[in-house]
Amino acid sequence: MTTTTLRAALAVEARKATSARVVTSTTILLLVGIAVLAGATTLAAAGGNEQLMAKLGPSATQGGWTSLLSTASQITAAGGLLAFGVVLSWLFGREFADGTVTGLFALPVSRPTIALAKLIVYLLWSVGVATLLVLMVAGLGFATGAGPIEGTAPVALLRLWSLTVLTALLAVPAGWAATIGRGLLPGIATAIAILAAAQILVVAGTGGWFPFAAPALWTIFPGTVSASQMALVPLVPLTFGFLVLHAWHRLQLDR
Amino acid sequence: MAEARIRLHGLTRTFDGGVGVRGVDLDVGAGEIHALVGLNGAGKSTLMRLLLGMLRQDSGTVRLDGRPLGSAPWSRLGHLIETPLAYGELTGRANLMLAARLHGVPASAAAPMVQRVLTELNLHPYAAIRARRMSLGNRQRLGLAAALQHDPDIIVLDEPTNALDPAGVISLREALVRRAAAGAGVLVSSHHLDEVARVADRITVINAGRTIGTLNPHGVDIEREFFALVRSDDERTAA
Repeated sequence: MTTTTLRAALAVEARKATSARVVTSTTILLLVGIAVLAGATTLAAAGGNEQLMAKLGPSATQGGWTSLLSTASQITAAGGLLAFGVVLSWLFGREFADGTVTGLFALPVSRPTIALAKLIVYLLWSVGVATLLVLMVAGLGFATGAGPIEGTAPVALLRLWSLTVLTALLAVPAGWAATIGRGLLPGIATAIAILAAAQILVVAGTGGWFPFAAPALWTIFPGTVSASQMALVPLVPLTFGFLVLHAWHRLQLDR
Repeated sequence: MAEARIRLHGLTRTFDGGVGVRGVDLDVGAGEIHALVGLNGAGKSTLMRLLLGMLRQDSGTVRLDGRPLGSAPWSRLGHLIETPLAYGELTGRANLMLAARLHGVPASAAAPMVQRVLTELNLHPYAAIRARRMSLGNRQRLGLAAALQHDPDIIVLDEPTNALDPAGVISLREALVRRAAAGAGVLVSSHHLDEVARVADRITVINAGRTIGTLNPHGVDIEREFFALVRSDDERTAA
């Protein structure tokens, strides 16, 4: 892998991603979905809907920025993982589903370089999504009369941004599964399995030590997740990022 | 003697159920068009996948311009195996630009190169059309353009005339003849003796994963010779 080949692979993958309906529609669905759901549930909770208040927890019922950001974070942690999982599954799985993977062999740009370029484009896209999401939620707060951004609100907005990027990083196993499974569905199924496991372990009380659940807990219940628990989170994208590159290096079209 | 563009020696890869290729020796010289002809399932695609690194061999060697696959001159190779490198969301021109970059062509040189191949393969009407809107035949032409536009020294095409209309077959044939005349080594496969196989300098017949003989491209009844070769091999194997 050289700078020249990585630059070529980045140009190719960026062009594909910016032209893809899957990426555009997922971005819109994720941003609009979170904004609408967060706005609606915050208003419903403020209106005294007891079932919703019980579901969202105490921080979502305090009104203002605290309620809005707590709700937005809960929706982002779950919905974001699915959305990011879908995009990653598509980025890797579509080459198998469309049959274009044969064209990615026998090139001066190696397959691990192409896979790395996919991951970099994905990361840049997720940073953009996180930034847009924070701007949308801030706009929503102003629109719904949450008042000026002060007190804990600026930190909570930063935490929402971090949660979105970390959620994107935690979806990297979907890219590996799409490669190993030679298609989109194994990747999407992996994202769903991660989400289900995180929900179960949070309810069981061991969420902080489960890297897939730690960022959401850290955002929604600051103080309940230790630094050592958060330090485990980067191991997921690093481990599965390496596995993705290894899988593309060793790839054979034997099935 | 000049190094062959492609040289396969004792190439073997078998799959569960016994299919695959066994002990194949084959070479393609510079300036030569070599056709690999065999019935469906004879092992043509497996052989091409092996020489392009899409499959790892159980035994045997592959040399491209004298070098093993680990250090092969990939930027000087063009191939199309099964599916054209054509992304549905991109136009014909954008697909060719991406293929050029993946073949190591700098961005500045890619645009005039794409322009040339659009003209050569009569693809200008499809330059601004998204690949998903193209017919199967036009996507195939786009994939062939992606494989040939950088004037590679080694060309490997698996059943390239699939879905092409007669005009597409003729322009492909001419494009291959031109590149071979310029020194490229061309390996094309087909399940029948199509127009491209007929302009080959050599025709090798493959059956049940083994090369079983050659045909004279200028012979008068090579279709009959081909079936006779396959039939006698099948009978020998069954005996």
